[in-house]
Amino acid sequence: MSYNTAAAKNTGRSKNKKSSNKKTDERPAISIEAENRQDTNIDVPVEPAGQEDTGKKRAAVSNVISAFNAIIVGGVLACGAVYMTCFKHETRADDENRYLAKFPEFSFSSYLKGDYTSAIAEYFDDTVHGRSEIKRFISDKLLPLKGRPYGGDEEVELYGTAFEHIPQQTEPPVITTVPVTTSPITTSLPAVVTPETSETPETSETPETSETPETSETPETSETPQTSETPQTSEAPKTSEAERTTTAVQTTAPPKTTSAVVTTKAPVKDESEDANGEVTNNILIVNKRGITLYGGGWGGEVTYASYVNEYKAALPNVNVWSMPLPTPCSFYLPNKYKNLAASEKADFDNMAAHYNGVIGVDAWTALSQHTDEPIYSRTDHHWQPLGAYYAAQEFAKSAGVPFDDISTYDKVVLPGYVGTLYGFTKSATLWNNPEDFVYYKTRNNVTVTQYSTSFTNPFRTSLYLDPTNWDRSAYYLVFGMDDNIRHVKTECKNGRTLIIFKDSYGNALLPFLTGSFENIYLCDIRYFNINPIQFAKNVGATDILFSMCSYSAVGGNKSHIHNNLLK
Amino acid sequence: MVFSRLFFIYIFLPVCLLVYAAARGIKQKNTVLIIFSLIFYAWGEPAFVLLMLLSAFVNYSAGLLIEKHRGKKGDTAATAFAVVFDVLMLGVFKYSGFIVENVNALFSLSIPVPHIRLPIGISFYTFQTISYIIDCHWEKVDTQKSFKNYLLYLALFPQLVAGPIVRYSTIEKEITDRKVAVSDIAYGLNRIALGLGKKVLLANQLSIIVGNTLGSISTASVLGAWYGAAVYGLQIYFDFSGYSDIAIGLGRLFGFHFDENFRHPFVCKDITEFWQRWHISLSTFFRDYVLYVPIFGKRRKYGGLFLVWLCTGIWHGASWNFVLWGLYYGVFVCLEMIIGKKRMKKIPVVIRHIYSKAVIIVGFGIFYFEKLGELGTFFKRIVGVGTSELIGLQDKITLTNNMYLLIAAVICTFPIIDGIKKLSDRSFAAKSAVSSLTALCSAALLLLSSIMLVDATTNPFLYFRF
Repeated sequence: MSYNTAAAKNTGRSKNKKSSNKKTDERPAISIEAENRQDTNIDVPVEPAGQEDTGKKRAAVSNVISAFNAIIVGGVLACGAVYMTCFKHETRADDENRYLAKFPEFSFSSYLKGDYTSAIAEYFDDTVHGRSEIKRFISDKLLPLKGRPYGGDEEVELYGTAFEHIPQQTEPPVITTVPVTTSPITTSLPAVVTPETSETPETSETPETSETPETSETPETSETPQTSETPQTSEAPKTSEAERTTTAVQTTAPPKTTSAVVTTKAPVKDESEDANGEVTNNILIVNKRGITLYGGGWGGEVTYASYVNEYKAALPNVNVWSMPLPTPCSFYLPNKYKNLAASEKADFDNMAAHYNGVIGVDAWTALSQHTDEPIYSRTDHHWQPLGAYYAAQEFAKSAGVPFDDISTYDKVVLPGYVGTLYGFTKSATLWNNPEDFVYYKTRNNVTVTQYSTSFTNPFRTSLYLDPTNWDRSAYYLVFGMDDNIRHVKTECKNGRTLIIFKDSYGNALLPFLTGSFENIYLCDIRYFNINPIQFAKNVGATDILFSMCSYSAVGGNKSHIHNNLLK
Repeated sequence: MVFSRLFFIYIFLPVCLLVYAAARGIKQKNTVLIIFSLIFYAWGEPAFVLLMLLSAFVNYSAGLLIEKHRGKKGDTAATAFAVVFDVLMLGVFKYSGFIVENVNALFSLSIPVPHIRLPIGISFYTFQTISYIIDCHWEKVDTQKSFKNYLLYLALFPQLVAGPIVRYSTIEKEITDRKVAVSDIAYGLNRIALGLGKKVLLANQLSIIVGNTLGSISTASVLGAWYGAAVYGLQIYFDFSGYSDIAIGLGRLFGFHFDENFRHPFVCKDITEFWQRWHISLSTFFRDYVLYVPIFGKRRKYGGLFLVWLCTGIWHGASWNFVLWGLYYGVFVCLEMIIGKKRMKKIPVVIRHIYSKAVIIVGFGIFYFEKLGELGTFFKRIVGVGTSELIGLQDKITLTNNMYLLIAAVICTFPIIDGIKKLSDRSFAAKSAVSSLTALCSAALLLLSSIMLVDATTNPFLYFRF
């Protein structure tokens, strides 16, 4: 800012100097007359009137160049306008697992809030013709121009924030609960039938399942019409949008979650704005594998333990299990990059040390023995169903229930799978190195009923959705979306009823437990709108399993575990 | 509505241009511009468009009263009323929550904190109205007799929501008398393409690095903190100057000549020069209307300076870090004033560059962290407190992953285009060749930016929040 004495003239002192000279000499230097102003930056050399020395010929040439300039750039603008309006609008994005924006319906209230007009702009921006191809062009050709991969052959790319020098937790863990139960199964098995449970089937199961033949429900083919209407379609944008926009949960989590430990009895937890996201943008791509960098629990693991303890306290006769699930960060991060992430194992151990009556299941160790198998996706933040199989096996072993060997399943291979990590990073490395998505179809006859998140509006569905008409994504398309409650009635007759409180990782567990429990209720902690204790009593639960990935367990999502109790 | 959306570039703008071209005579064209400006504003703020209209009406009426009572008490009264109205409006919508929060904290009260949504662009158009009223009072400009013309000045969509803060005197004549030559169209389109390129290809990509570094300041290394703040400075520059480029380009398409808002600020050698090149329309506003406010008596030189920098800071947001940011720059400008221009020039240029860049980078750090705790951590990290590492592994990775982007960004802070233009001015042939090449480059920029926008549906300009 220039503060010379000339500026002093621009005060009331010049007030009385009027008229003829007021816009010339006495005028403050607040602006330059338009006709005297020089073009800056990109300039078009056409000022015929002011260039006496150029002559008419030069002026004419300049005019032609100007016109050429305007036509070229204006041509791009015009072509773009035609492309945006006349070409077919896309309706879905396979690579993002979502349907694209729809043209909004007008309502006066939505207009007043600005939602209607915003949605119109969103519609045009979101549904550009050839969106997927354009995105691929960006990934393949444009984004690599930003720089080059780090680390030679490993070709490391970092998206988001990594972590180094992870400070020691300064606050000691709060150990106010009684020591961890060390005799997991014997004390709680067989499942206890409480007085309430005998009444529940009538109320909760009323809708339809009892009348329908179970056999017809097994294959998903007969269910196709229904599955196409399931929330998978309508809700896809919600989830993917939430996950797309999630940023660095860990970076904000530490101070908040640490303090949350002390106040576990606070009425409502709202620990993160990103509570509905599962994964952050902290992704390292190394050796053609995307790895979400785990930022550490920072006390969140203790809070998680205290939350699941609340369930055990409320349901003393029900087996409450906790099986936090590791991510690829635990097994596939090369040693030289280890300090970019925290240890999931350490946090899981700390979690287990704070269980009070809750029985821990060590999926970490079980999975660590199979890291040479495709137990995790390279291009998706989820695991592969094979990983879920080993975790489910570990849980079944702990729970003392039968477990079907993987050889009894029908293996389905979906080639060319590029998962969610591509959506987060737009990395050409991931896009150009697709993988197989392999899932396993149970041969058990099951009846699957899907409910709303308030346990209403039941309808028959299948265990798996049909992903064949989608291009490259599979996890959500095979296992469905999260915002519902699913009840699976199996042929297993051991009297055990299991409720799984999970995030989307938990979806893949479900098929592998259909030979282990008589009834299974799959509930997402983020989309559960009824009181879980009452729900457990109503459905006659004998077992409750908390199973979610490390991010959900220690991050913002865990607050739902506590908050759901207040519903 | 945001300039950097496909919807704006390829639907709103072409429709507006077509209708504008079809309109005959300046009155029709002005009507078209007003209608499209109101649609533009109401697109995101249907209700707040009424607030803007109210502001326009009050200030227009005040202008008439000033003219009517010229030289009498009514002149001053109308001026004072309008300025107080404008400042109050800005205060209520922008600062009431901040004020109540601080009063509560200071006096241990529990007054309910109002959560009022900030109308987009209120900081910009309010300053435009204030400048108009004071210029009317000082007789720098003629009072606008037509409400329609005044509304056009205030609501003109190219500069409505994020500046530059256009003075009435700048476009006074052009409101009623302007022509659009082919060269204006070419210039405008080129400038729009340039601005969009700055925003989409540079600022948006740099913002990812900023998130990587400043986003986790608690674990940042020493150089990581400096690096993050420096990249944030680049991001803000390309973001805001890109917006200004688009605004100037759009203005030119309709025959308006707006003043430059940025002149390659990072080539400055000292902080005073930086502010002569950065957000010029805001700097000159404070210089012209606040610096010499005669409330500090004999000490007005420094008193005014203090007030200017306090205002500059708080204008950017209702948060203490912005206050600190403004005063921080005030201290350095004051220091340079005390040292004096001659003595400053005697300091080796390299030292002056290092000094100015260090101050600017730390300044952007202050600008970034709205939470004072995080700001404190940032200060610690840049001097190596709380970290033993000079540069972290993640910094090395992001540097490598973005090395060409960063090099391009740094190069673009220099007046390259101006340099090419100067060189080409030496011969007509060179000038013609450069102009032709400019067309191709602009078309490529527009195309590339549009492609990138397909995958970036939300990328609002940072200065929208101010």
